[in-house]
Amino acid sequence: MSGTVGIGPALAANPGAQEAPRPLRLNAEQASYAYAATDKSAPKFTLSSTTFTADQREIVAILGPNASGKSTLMKLLAGLIKPLSGRIEVDGTEVSEMDLKTRAQRIALVQQESELLFPLRVWEYVLQGRYPHGRSLRFESEEDCLLAGNALAQVGAHALRDRWMEQLSGGEKQRVILARALAQQPSLLLLDEPTQHLDIGGKVELLRRLRKLADENRYTVVVVTHELNLAAEFSDRIVLLHNGKCLRVGTAAEVYQRDLLEEVFQAPLDVEIRRNGRPRVLLRGVE
Amino acid sequence: MRPLTPKRILWTCGWLAALLFVTVVLALRMGAYSISVPDIVKALFNGVIGHWQEIPAEHQMVVFGLRLPRIALEILVGASLSVAGVGFQALLRNPLADPYVLGVSSGAALGAIVSLIAVPHTPGAIQVAAFLGAAITIGIVYFLGRRGGQLDSATLLLAGIISASLLSSIIMFLMTTLTTRDFRGMAFWLMGDLSSPPPVTNVFGWLGFLFTVFLIAAGAIYTTSSDLNLILTGEEEARHLGVNVRRVKLVVYVGASILTGLAVSVSGAIGYVGLLVPHVMRMLFGTDHRLLIPASVIGGAIAIVVADTLARTVAVPTEVPVGAMTALAGAPVFIYLMRRRVR
Amino acid sequence: MRGDKKFRRIAAWSITASVMLLAASVIPTPARATAEKTAQTGAVEPKPAATRTVIDEVGRKVTVPAEVQRVVSLAPNLTEMVYALGLQDKLVGDTDYCDTPPAAKSKPHVGGPMSPSLETIVGLRPDLVLATTSINHVETVDALQHLGIPVYTSDPQSVEGMLASTRRMADLMGANEKGEEVVGQLQSRLDALKAKLAGRPMAHVLFVVWMDPLITIGQNTFIADALKWAGAESVVMSDQKWPHLSFEEIVRVQPEYIVLTPDHAESNATGLADLRSRNGWRELDAVVAGHVIVMDSAVNRPSPGMIDAIEQAARMLHPDAFTNDAEPKSASPDGKPQSATPPAPHVKQRNHEETECTACAR
Repeated sequence: MSGTVGIGPALAANPGAQEAPRPLRLNAEQASYAYAATDKSAPKFTLSSTTFTADQREIVAILGPNASGKSTLMKLLAGLIKPLSGRIEVDGTEVSEMDLKTRAQRIALVQQESELLFPLRVWEYVLQGRYPHGRSLRFESEEDCLLAGNALAQVGAHALRDRWMEQLSGGEKQRVILARALAQQPSLLLLDEPTQHLDIGGKVELLRRLRKLADENRYTVVVVTHELNLAAEFSDRIVLLHNGKCLRVGTAAEVYQRDLLEEVFQAPLDVEIRRNGRPRVLLRGVE
Repeated sequence: MRPLTPKRILWTCGWLAALLFVTVVLALRMGAYSISVPDIVKALFNGVIGHWQEIPAEHQMVVFGLRLPRIALEILVGASLSVAGVGFQALLRNPLADPYVLGVSSGAALGAIVSLIAVPHTPGAIQVAAFLGAAITIGIVYFLGRRGGQLDSATLLLAGIISASLLSSIIMFLMTTLTTRDFRGMAFWLMGDLSSPPPVTNVFGWLGFLFTVFLIAAGAIYTTSSDLNLILTGEEEARHLGVNVRRVKLVVYVGASILTGLAVSVSGAIGYVGLLVPHVMRMLFGTDHRLLIPASVIGGAIAIVVADTLARTVAVPTEVPVGAMTALAGAPVFIYLMRRRVR
Repeated sequence: MRGDKKFRRIAAWSITASVMLLAASVIPTPARATAEKTAQTGAVEPKPAATRTVIDEVGRKVTVPAEVQRVVSLAPNLTEMVYALGLQDKLVGDTDYCDTPPAAKSKPHVGGPMSPSLETIVGLRPDLVLATTSINHVETVDALQHLGIPVYTSDPQSVEGMLASTRRMADLMGANEKGEEVVGQLQSRLDALKAKLAGRPMAHVLFVVWMDPLITIGQNTFIADALKWAGAESVVMSDQKWPHLSFEEIVRVQPEYIVLTPDHAESNATGLADLRSRNGWRELDAVVAGHVIVMDSAVNRPSPGMIDAIEQAARMLHPDAFTNDAEPKSASPDGKPQSATPPAPHVKQRNHEETECTACAR
């Protein structure tokens, strides 16, 4: 079941404004993907028609159990694979049509870990994020350094800039990795299960930071996760996937219906709405 | 936060080049034939401006006929092996990689032996056959080392090691069929030896050709410097930053292999240089390839000029193979580097 | 420890090192001063106008001064030949392995025959360099030619070829008469030998170049030719120069005689006694019968001394042809005595066939 087309906050605030229509940061329209058909079998759809949008200052959470098509959707968003049908557009341009450099300028995929072969300083690492914005063999300009510094500041890691990467703690490293992605000045920030290896404190810290980046720095963030409560707490929109199908797109309150969640996650769950209007999912006692 | 600038690169390379110049002057000075520095400078100067008749015949023979071409070869081989080492270490994501790990030198050695057996005493045959052997090995290992349509570090390494091993066994078998005289020559070649006179009449033309090949291959690798910096933080990450990883790997593989083939066909398999020069340069100047590659070019040249000058002067009139010198010096340096890493 | 400080340290050290090295290279030392002088005086003279051009034995054009004064030999057999022609005063350099005659050891050395030091050769200012295909590398000859140094390469394929070669080189070095004399003597000795051995069956021999692995000579080598002159034929027919053999081959073929050539005079004591102590060898017919000959190692080199070795071998293989001869004259320049044991009246008697090469005592 496809969801509604989201309207960016700017337009929603001023419906009659005469701004030149800025394209949505992210627009996924009936995107689907399947492995190629062979002689014997029909194409196996790992993701069928999915539609949702994301704009500035929005965090979209892609939710679902394992093998629900989350990673396929993430790859489609990152432009690593081409949709079988439908479109995925960033800033109005089809992602799979972009060349490598342009794609890197628009979309930043934030990795979880970084195994470095040789010692590297933090600022060197973050400066690498400027790579898409110049020629292949390039020397970083003043502007590059400035933007890299800004990126570090945005994640609160400016003080770390002269340290060696291998000396950082886990949390610090993650911030630096995020900073490199920000240095790309992307329209879209993609994170694939970023909270996997973190404890609850780390998870909250990360999502708080993403929220801040979205609110203050106008980033658009898409997070793939299976953390129901964190997604509910921090995201503006939820895309619920199950078995390759997009079941629902909407706010957490709209999407978290008890029967739906129980069926998708195959667990006894209760949903209660908190005071701030966001739902909380609880595990009902195991019988 | 001070990023690498072209100015810093030129400055550093300037210093290194000066060091190389001094080394070359010393190397020109040394040899069985006694000739003083002022005489050398006079000969060079007259040669450059074309006044050949001003130079005594013997000085001309020794400086231009013997030492200068050899020094030029030393520079070429040292630079080629070092850049190849940098390239392979990045490509294979392994700081212990040296230019021979992918079997290129074994292929060249096989070519050399086959030419010794098939067309002995033909000048230049060994060099051509060695390069052909290297080229064929490069191709075979490339096709074996692919995975999912592009070069994969682990698969490539495996393919290289297997090829090297197979080729070595063939070489061993063939070596038993060589005459005593050729056997000694082949043993020297395998150790790395620059004492053979150039195989052509037009020595400087030949050198020019070799240097052109070097510039093309090394230049190609240099254009991927920024890419390599990124790839070393992770291939996926690099791809997401817009690096065409597949193309970069191909360029580096072909470039580094050609450089190795070039060096080996000229001098045999000189060891330790391709492994250690990049390490030392990294220690001194950092891991940024935009500086590391030019620094390794000059550093490698200095290393081989020193090693070969020692090789041809320590036991005059006998010639020690230069590979023996690099091994003697290289092993302790290697141990020292390993200990530093552990610390 | 990156950054300016390290960079400056490296820069400072490099400057210091560079200055020191440059200084060291410019300061002259006493030994070099004399060498410089000779280099200067020797090299600035104009080249003598009169030259000759000949074609050497591998087809190269060689241009030498009409008066060859300085000769460098790149092989032991060539050194020996130079001495045989009485031209040792013109010999300014030879190889590390040139020890026949012993006086050759005191000449300046240029290294080994296979990788001589080109610079040393240049420093000796030769008018002519002698090389041979049997031991020198073509790259060495090429390199010397590129440097403008004349090289004459000999290519001895047979004993008589070696004589012709000697004659030509004697002519090149301006010793025509002496050359004719020496070659003439050697040729007549060969002819006499041929006459003596006429009509006799050839002895079937195994010529052992190396014991382990077992290497013998091919039929197209000059050693094979030398053996023919001595009335012997190798039992091994091979086109290779130095064929490897398996021991079973020898057992199957069972040569009449086994010919050994020691490398050094000390190993003269070996030979029959040595073979008798080896498994497998001691069962061979030749060893049982005591038909083991130790030949002078001169046979390994195409040189005048080879004739001595041929004669010596002929005596040992066909003693009955020499029953009426007195002791032969030596062809070697330092007049080493040849005292082969007088031939025994019976041909294949065990004890008397243990001829050891006492003649090789130097």
